[in-house]
Amino acid sequence: MVSINYSAREVCCKIVYYGPGLSGKTTNLQYIHSKVPQDTRGKLISLATEADRTLYFDFLPINIGTINDFQAKFQLYTVPGQVYYNATRKLVLRGVDGVVFVADSQPDKMDENLESLANLEENLVEYGYNPDELPMVIQYNKCDLPGVMSSDELNAKLNQKGRPFFHGSATLGNGVFDTLKLIIKLVLEKAKATGKGEGAARPAAQAAPAPPAPSVEKPYPETAPAAATAPAPEQQAAAVAEAPVVDQPAEVAVESQPLAATAEPESQPLAATAEPESQPAATTAEPEPREELSREAAYRPYPGSEKASTERKAPALGRSQAEELPAEALGRNIGAGTSDRQEQQSTVASTPQMAPSLRRRGENKKRGFFKRLFGIK
Amino acid sequence: MSDDSLIIYEAEITKIDNLLKKMLKGAEAKCALLVDKDGHLITRQGFTHSLDTTALAALLAGSFASTKEIAKLVGEPEFSVLFHQGKKDHIHMSIVGERSILAVIFDDRTTIGMVRLYAKETAQELSRIFQEILDRHEPSPGISNEFADMAQDKLDDIFQD
Repeated sequence: MVSINYSAREVCCKIVYYGPGLSGKTTNLQYIHSKVPQDTRGKLISLATEADRTLYFDFLPINIGTINDFQAKFQLYTVPGQVYYNATRKLVLRGVDGVVFVADSQPDKMDENLESLANLEENLVEYGYNPDELPMVIQYNKCDLPGVMSSDELNAKLNQKGRPFFHGSATLGNGVFDTLKLIIKLVLEKAKATGKGEGAARPAAQAAPAPPAPSVEKPYPETAPAAATAPAPEQQAAAVAEAPVVDQPAEVAVESQPLAATAEPESQPLAATAEPESQPAATTAEPEPREELSREAAYRPYPGSEKASTERKAPALGRSQAEELPAEALGRNIGAGTSDRQEQQSTVASTPQMAPSLRRRGENKKRGFFKRLFGIK
Repeated sequence: MSDDSLIIYEAEITKIDNLLKKMLKGAEAKCALLVDKDGHLITRQGFTHSLDTTALAALLAGSFASTKEIAKLVGEPEFSVLFHQGKKDHIHMSIVGERSILAVIFDDRTTIGMVRLYAKETAQELSRIFQEILDRHEPSPGISNEFADMAQDKLDDIFQD
């Protein structure tokens, strides 16, 4: 089922490339990955053996952009083709919205094609799908090789149900995008057909920016669906009109815009608590998000993300601010009467303070060196 | 289609997010992701700004699915908890209800015991919420005509040889 996530503003479809071993499923994904603009695609993840044979699956997320305020995302998976990998192959089919069957057009591969197609239908039936109703496109791959079978011959054996098909050559890229475009169209058609209302067609009056994580920011009333449902358009319009966009609680703003939001709330208390230890009572009334952010900001950033280089600035900024305020954080923890364990930890963490200059220098090089030296967790 | 779709309302997502936040605070973990077994991300909380959550969700679901098959081979219906230990960061995964996975990423400032304790509590509360959702048996709404048409128009622009 196409997943509609109202909280993250996403419509997400799962498309699986199925077919016998060495028919070119992974090559299809690699070609798409190499040709699609960088902002459209995510990272191609390949769980393959040493010899580059798919072991579990390949995964390529593509995002065709924002439509009606919703991100249209497609997750492309391949399966391992070899017969003996059926256990993992079946797992990948779970929750599939559309299948591309990549067949090898060479005459001596016909038996493998037939076996794989039968296996696909069998696995779909086991998951409770009707193979005839599921959107499916057939790609007769390797048509650039000499001695391949003709359309009629291939259709007679592999396409008795009259499914749409393309001839392709995944290494050259012929037919790869045609196949992908058609399967996406079919999946969307199918999703449309199952839909009874105007699911994702919201008026584009969304005030808050839509970062992927927070879900609290939406102006829906309680009766409106969050993850996958469809209120009538009039209702939606009303909901948006009623939406107290201006009254959004500060907490929400802090959550959704970490970089911008930390700067302000952090800077004020900094000035206010010049002598933090002497006034722990004043800090007890601090709102919680600040503590969460400073805690969050101190974490080691994740590697690997393509966006990391730009987004990593946010935690870095937060970290320096967080480290300048340890005593205050201590005061708040005690004042707020949190659990004993937390109290103890924060005391341990902030008692042996380093001189500010040392701390600042340490930030650039080995952060945590002194902590390690003194055995502070 | 085979599976009943899961329809989560705004109030429930808020409730789920609050539970995750509470858990993160209690266990002092880095972040938490709630993932559908199909590989879709339901929601996330905590320090996830630079994390590739789409890929992570797909891989976590894949990891859980393969572990389930391993469990079947040794005569268990499924392993309800999975733990990956790294040098600095670790992942604790537990099953929530029938079809979701709660993954908690944490580092050395907390312990596996704490994470386990809080994750177990949270998973129980989350599965109660999911059970309520499933009990409603609502039909899936699908997507709008307008959305599908606009998406199709975009395809030609993006996918060019």
